[in-house]
Amino acid sequence: MDHPPAIVRLTGVDKDYLLGKVVVPALRGIDLAIQPGEFTVIAGPSGSGKTTALNLIGCVDVATRGIVTVDGHDTAKLSERDLTKLRLERLGFIFQSFNLVGVLDAFQNVEFPLLLQRKLTKAERRERVMDLLQEVGIDQYAKHRPNELSGGQRQRVAIARALVTRPQIVLADEPTANLDSETGNAIVDLMEKLNDEGTTFLFSTHDPRVVDRAGRVVRLMDGRIVEDVTRRAVGASRIAQSA
Amino acid sequence: MVLFRIALRNLWSHKTKTLIVGGLLVFGTLLVVLGQSLLTTLDQSMARSIVNSVAGHLQVYAADAKDNLALFGSFEGTEIGQIKDFPRVRKVLEGLPEVQAVIPMGIDSAVVFGGNVLDVKLEQLRAAEKQGDHARSHALRNHVRRIVVMLHQELKNLNGLVDKAKLTEETRQGLVDVERAAAKEFWDSYETDVLGHLEFLENKIAPMALGEDMIFLRYIGTDTNRYAKAFDLFEMVDGQPIPAGKRGFLFNKLTYEEQVKHKTARRLDRMRDRLAGGFQLATDDELKNWRKLNKDQHKEITYQLDDDSAAAVRKALQAELKSSETDLVKLIVAFMDMNDQNFARRYKLFYETVVPHLNLYSVKIGDTLTLRGLTASGYPTSVPVTLYGTFRFRSLDKSAVSGAANLTDLNTFRDLYGFMSADRKKELEALEAKSGVRAISRDEAEAALFGGEGEEVAPEAVAVTPTAVEAALDPTEGFDEFAGVDMATGAKTHGASLADLTYTQAQTDGGVVRNAAIMLKPGVAVADGLRAVTLAVEREKLGLKVVDWRKASGLIGDFVWVIYVILFTAIFVIFIVALVIINNSMVMATMERVREIGTMRAIGAQRTEILKMFAAEAVVLGTVFGAVGVGLGAAIVGTLGYVGIPAYVDQMVFLFAGPRLHLLLSPTHLLFAWAIVYVVAALSTIYPAYLATRITPLQAMQDAE
Ligand SMILES: Nc1ncnc2c1ncn2[C@@H]1O[C@H](COP(=O)(O)OP(=O)(O)OP(=O)(O)O)[C@@H](O)[C@H]1O
Ligand SMILES: [Mg+2]
Repeated sequence: MDHPPAIVRLTGVDKDYLLGKVVVPALRGIDLAIQPGEFTVIAGPSGSGKTTALNLIGCVDVATRGIVTVDGHDTAKLSERDLTKLRLERLGFIFQSFNLVGVLDAFQNVEFPLLLQRKLTKAERRERVMDLLQEVGIDQYAKHRPNELSGGQRQRVAIARALVTRPQIVLADEPTANLDSETGNAIVDLMEKLNDEGTTFLFSTHDPRVVDRAGRVVRLMDGRIVEDVTRRAVGASRIAQSA
Repeated sequence: MVLFRIALRNLWSHKTKTLIVGGLLVFGTLLVVLGQSLLTTLDQSMARSIVNSVAGHLQVYAADAKDNLALFGSFEGTEIGQIKDFPRVRKVLEGLPEVQAVIPMGIDSAVVFGGNVLDVKLEQLRAAEKQGDHARSHALRNHVRRIVVMLHQELKNLNGLVDKAKLTEETRQGLVDVERAAAKEFWDSYETDVLGHLEFLENKIAPMALGEDMIFLRYIGTDTNRYAKAFDLFEMVDGQPIPAGKRGFLFNKLTYEEQVKHKTARRLDRMRDRLAGGFQLATDDELKNWRKLNKDQHKEITYQLDDDSAAAVRKALQAELKSSETDLVKLIVAFMDMNDQNFARRYKLFYETVVPHLNLYSVKIGDTLTLRGLTASGYPTSVPVTLYGTFRFRSLDKSAVSGAANLTDLNTFRDLYGFMSADRKKELEALEAKSGVRAISRDEAEAALFGGEGEEVAPEAVAVTPTAVEAALDPTEGFDEFAGVDMATGAKTHGASLADLTYTQAQTDGGVVRNAAIMLKPGVAVADGLRAVTLAVEREKLGLKVVDWRKASGLIGDFVWVIYVILFTAIFVIFIVALVIINNSMVMATMERVREIGTMRAIGAQRTEILKMFAAEAVVLGTVFGAVGVGLGAAIVGTLGYVGIPAYVDQMVFLFAGPRLHLLLSPTHLLFAWAIVYVVAALSTIYPAYLATRITPLQAMQDAE
């Protein structure tokens, strides 16, 4: 197939965990390329290696063997400092349990990565954050602390935080696992919408209903890719599909 | 900055913990502020006390001194040698622009009167006789004999003061007994009836010595008039200054009251002061003890009463007690059994009706007192000297430290100290060779030589009785206590003429001086003065050691440092505790925040940013609680500075340079305290901050909920 250059590429990646003296192979011989604009789900049963794969791509863990490149950088060759910078500039994280900073309100949580970037002025930050909050539909909760928000609202804040730096790729590990199915669907709706606007999404899930809505499904089993199905082209209109 | 906000929010959301930590920090800061202020103020007030009463800003003494100068006593000896050529020292040092005055000194101690030891010595003598220890018996016998002779002497003095006809029968008989015990025949026959003699001494003589305490005096031999001018705390109380060029003695008012005043009267004074301080006879043990002593020591009064005065006192006490009792002792005991209700009245009555019949001060202004001491070479000397008056150091009236300093003239000091310089020793040797005498009692020789300064004195001083020389030379006698006795009589005889002598300033300056106080001009810092004087001493090769008042004062000068060490140990411990607690609570908080910190790291926060967040917390802690602590400390110091800390104990008066210590507030102390809090907060944050930077973003991914 004719692809634009992949934003994430895994080549012959193995990941072993050490449990005492026992080697637990979590990923084996993974070859995977993600193109910009994809809306990819990593599916598979519990323990199949979904989280492990996302961690490698998210630059928070390193492969035992093989090469992981993110935005053209071999993550094994980057320093801790540069990896952190890569995460800040290129990646957005959405966590299963939201992981918001409890002492900051919704606005401040979303603003946080911008402050770390030190690129925008206060006014610019404000505009960017408020726009995003509006987009994810919780702008009226900007002054609320996480413990004053529902699960769905929290996940929206988390999504806004992941997007605020306009990353090339957003990683989400089971973003709907802690939400009821209705809220879960709403969150996936939101992610699809944002994907339509150009953000690359890569997330793991158990949920078959979520899997059904993905553009591409990479199925893992015991650390190996057992299926890789692309259902629609990058950027293809889902509106047409659902109609 | 958001990190600051997170820090603040974190502190806010753990209120109890923050308050405990903050409380510790506030307490620590408070202690630092208070402690520093207290110590600085104390140091200043103590400096004022020491500098302006005895030490001056600097002290100089012989460079070849064996011991260090310690004006207020030390554990070391006091062999501080003598200053060579004091007139030159004065000329050079007073020529310096920094120096106001140079005051010569000779500090030593002396004893006035003998007494009370008699009981102890007799007991020891009896024991020695029992054991057949001849050598010991011999030594003790001599000692006892000396005491008896002294007692005899004193009683003869007393005789002169009180009309013989008025003495009670008992007193008169006592005098006869003492006369007998002091006689040569009594001691010649001692061996023939040891027990009989002992019994006589114990029963008849020892009671006579009752109430006759030895008065140990510390004195400063100095140019008293220059002294009075240079030390601005000096102030005459009674009497007059020693006339220029005259020999004389000035009692420190406190010593005079404590040591010379009639014991019963003194105890009543102390009771009055203590009652005024809010204590009660009904409850206070100290007061009860004094009352008991007053009842027990009735002899202190009866001993001094003759028949007529006894009758007068009897009548007054009968009236007060509404009693028909005739036994004076019983009356006194009943009278002294005072309570809170009748104390004031009886105190007044005592002074109005009893005191006029007593010798209220055993030495009165205008009297001659005989100072006895040991010379530098260990021989007993005695010098009669006129008591001109009493003085005090202003605002230090009650301080025993400065109160222990009495003053006498330099020439009297020199006679007591009996120092012999090298060239005079040569002179003496020449004298010996000429006269063909193998050796002369050094004392006698010294006395002769010193007297030689003023020519008139020489013949009298040489006229020391031959027995003294014999006694001093007799190897079996050792250096003998008899010498002291005979010296005393010898001194007495030339005493009258000594008092009449007038010395020129040159004579006064020219003799032995052991050390000298240097007063700096107003505004000259002690350190600068020290440097200037040290340089001058080196340049002119004066052969002197120069020390500041702190070093010169010996143990007391170190006092502030001792408190300093204690206080800062306490503060150190508190801060260590604070450090451990803050550290622990922060480590725990860090553990609770693993997810949060991991998330920040995953989102893209560098380690340094996590570090900054912790630093922000430390800064907030330090700023807020440091400010509270400093503010509170300043408020307390300010209040105490205004009200003053009262000196609860008399000794504190000296340290406080007055009855109250007014704390000083200094911005440096506040800043210093604040800085310490910052350091503690920072130190206690280091470890948890380090832990936090080790948290990986992976830890945020792992499901914790
Ligand atoms: N830190 C670890 N130490 C040891 N083994 C681990 C560790 N993390 C994961 N594993 C093992 O690696 C394998 C893959 O785990 P991973 O968490 O990637 O699975 P998953 O597909 O995300 O599962 P789930 O759907 O339950 O989240 C599993 O067998 C797991 O037991
Ligand atoms: Mg998982």
